Amino acid sequence: MPAIRPSSKRKAPPDGFSDIEEDLLVFGNKMKDAQNTPTDNIPKHQAQWPIFQISHQRSRYIYELYYEKEAISKKLYEWLLKNGYADAMLIAKWKKQGYEKLCCLRCVQTKETNFNSTCICRVPKAGLKDGQDVQCVSCGCRGCASSD
Amino acid sequence: MLKSTYKPSPGALQPLPPGWTEHKAPTGHTYYYHADTKESTYKRPGAPPASFLPQQPPPINLSDPNVANAFMAQYNAPPPQQGQRGGFGGGRGGFQPRPRPQPTDKPRSKVAIPGHEPWILVYTRYGRRFAYNPAKNASYWRIPEKLMPAILELDQARIRRKAGLEEDEEEEGKEPKEATVSARPVTKQEEEQKAEYDYDSSEYEEVEVTDDEGDGDGEGNAKRQRTEEPGADGPVEFTEADIAAQLAAMGADYGDEDIGEDEDWEGEGSDPPFSEEDARALFKDLLDDFKINPYSSWEKLMEEGKIIDDPRYTILNTTKARKDAWEEWTRVKILERKAQRATEEKKDPRIPYLAFLQQKATPKLYWPEFRRKYKKDAPMKDPKLADKDREKWYREYINRLKLPQSTLKSDLKILLASLPPSALNNQSTPNHLPPQVLADLRYISLDPSIRDPFIEAYIQGLGPPPTAKEGELEDDVATKKAREDRRKREKALQERERAVAEEKRRQEKRLQFERARLRDEERELERAMVVGKKGLQSQLAGERLAEKMVIKREDEDQ
Ligand SMILES: [Zn+2]
Ligand SMILES: [Zn+2]
Repeated sequence: MPAIRPSSKRKAPPDGFSDIEEDLLVFGNKMKDAQNTPTDNIPKHQAQWPIFQISHQRSRYIYELYYEKEAISKKLYEWLLKNGYADAMLIAKWKKQGYEKLCCLRCVQTKETNFNSTCICRVPKAGLKDGQDVQCVSCGCRGCASSD
Repeated sequence: MLKSTYKPSPGALQPLPPGWTEHKAPTGHTYYYHADTKESTYKRPGAPPASFLPQQPPPINLSDPNVANAFMAQYNAPPPQQGQRGGFGGGRGGFQPRPRPQPTDKPRSKVAIPGHEPWILVYTRYGRRFAYNPAKNASYWRIPEKLMPAILELDQARIRRKAGLEEDEEEEGKEPKEATVSARPVTKQEEEQKAEYDYDSSEYEEVEVTDDEGDGDGEGNAKRQRTEEPGADGPVEFTEADIAAQLAAMGADYGDEDIGEDEDWEGEGSDPPFSEEDARALFKDLLDDFKINPYSSWEKLMEEGKIIDDPRYTILNTTKARKDAWEEWTRVKILERKAQRATEEKKDPRIPYLAFLQQKATPKLYWPEFRRKYKKDAPMKDPKLADKDREKWYREYINRLKLPQSTLKSDLKILLASLPPSALNNQSTPNHLPPQVLADLRYISLDPSIRDPFIEAYIQGLGPPPTAKEGELEDDVATKKAREDRRKREKALQERERAVAEEKRRQEKRLQFERARLRDEERELERAMVVGKKGLQSQLAGERLAEKMVIKREDEDQ
């Protein structure tokens, strides 16, 4: 019997993938660039910021396509989550009231921060002193409260 | 005399003259439109403006010879005391603590009117002209009827000269350069049209007196509009952009008359009433034309920056407005594509079935086993397909899988080649192939990892889609209307760009003029510094003489 279905290890992505393929490629390249950028001259805590930011943007892109524009199928959406194109945990937060703009999961994990509270970037602008410029340590976020 | 001719009446809004209607531009400005003359203006017609901001100069109705002569005389006479000029209204400088820049239109050249001696036609620095009778010491912006045939001939001669010597403006001789080259925004067109169209005396008179009376003289603009109207494309609808163009021209004209006080006009000129809806539609056309992927992100679009050089990009003037329009556009496009794909698939129920076969069918399963195994899957239950067809295709497909790759490839190529360019061309994408391909066993017989690059390469070698297709779609009313709408707003955009360019050019000219005047003033100041007290008097007298105009004011007897 001849070899019938050349078994490609990875299953082909669901329909609609081609619509977003190019954008995902761009995100992928940015991510690679960010990972390959030498971080010698950058404060240690800042080195990961670009990676967090790209990851955030890519998750956001997929989130909006699925939940806001209904542009992609559930099947494709789930495939994207499974294949690491979007952060399912972060998206789960965005669906909750008060977390619609959350930058990253670290910023709501109380344990890791110095003051055993959520990150400064979670504080609404209204609750800050006038003109106070904040930037969180974990991901470089400058504010992600829903009311901002 | 001045007081009697111009008296603003704040607050007292007189009814509009017949034919005029009041409108609100999308920018919030009120404007007035005359349906018959197609004239539009920001100034309430028929009456002096009911109110104006203090810094806004009052319009002067220069088509009224009384006013015009007084206006001219003002610059002709020895410098008056501030108070003497009070009649021109507060805005003109009377109430100003320091003198404001004054318009300095002056006669530039004159030409005898043949057969009507001693009448002469005087051209001013700003391209106006008026008839002057030195014997009676009378001048008229509105050319007296009896002079018109002669002036018409003068003009025709000038137009002929111009037509022959388009390049060499100096050849125009008597007429001041500014008058034809840059002082008037529509001169060239006007001249051409004058030459082209019948030049009956009534139209003629209008063209003449109008040149650039500036605002306050609705008539003038109506006339210019009329001469512009029968353009190459025939009469067109009077659009917002037309108004914008005209207002820009009006504003610019006005600026020439009153340099330094035109901020308001500039504001209006650079913010032409262009419908918000049109602007958004144009922006969306832009997205269409650049074949922007509606599934892509706004950030990527901005990073690529390929649309930002298109004039339609700035038609929406804030990033937010652009992003909003983009959001709207993506949603509509995504819906359209979804619908399109759904109908494509509906058209041929074989497509989902064959796709399913490609995924699931295997020579390890005989048809009955396969059918039993997947009996719950949609493609196996689709009532539009007969079970015996399903079986037939299954068997065929399994048999094809035993064929060598080269055969499968050449079969696929034959299939692709059988499609007309309208169905498959270099604009096709390998992921959205026409149903003829998708519903063919030859398409599913090759593994996608080999097939898709193969098809992509094939498509790239094809020609563009035939353009005749558009003609066939013409009967589609909606398509037709969409195309028509688009044509309209593109025309409006062109008009607007023309107006903006015009305004820019005029501003530059004003700037140049300002600089020139500043230089003059400096020079005068220098001169004043060097002459003694006695010398000053004689110098002033001399200057007065030099500046003396051809006309004198037509005195208080009017
Ligand atoms: Zn944050
Ligand atoms: Zn964060």
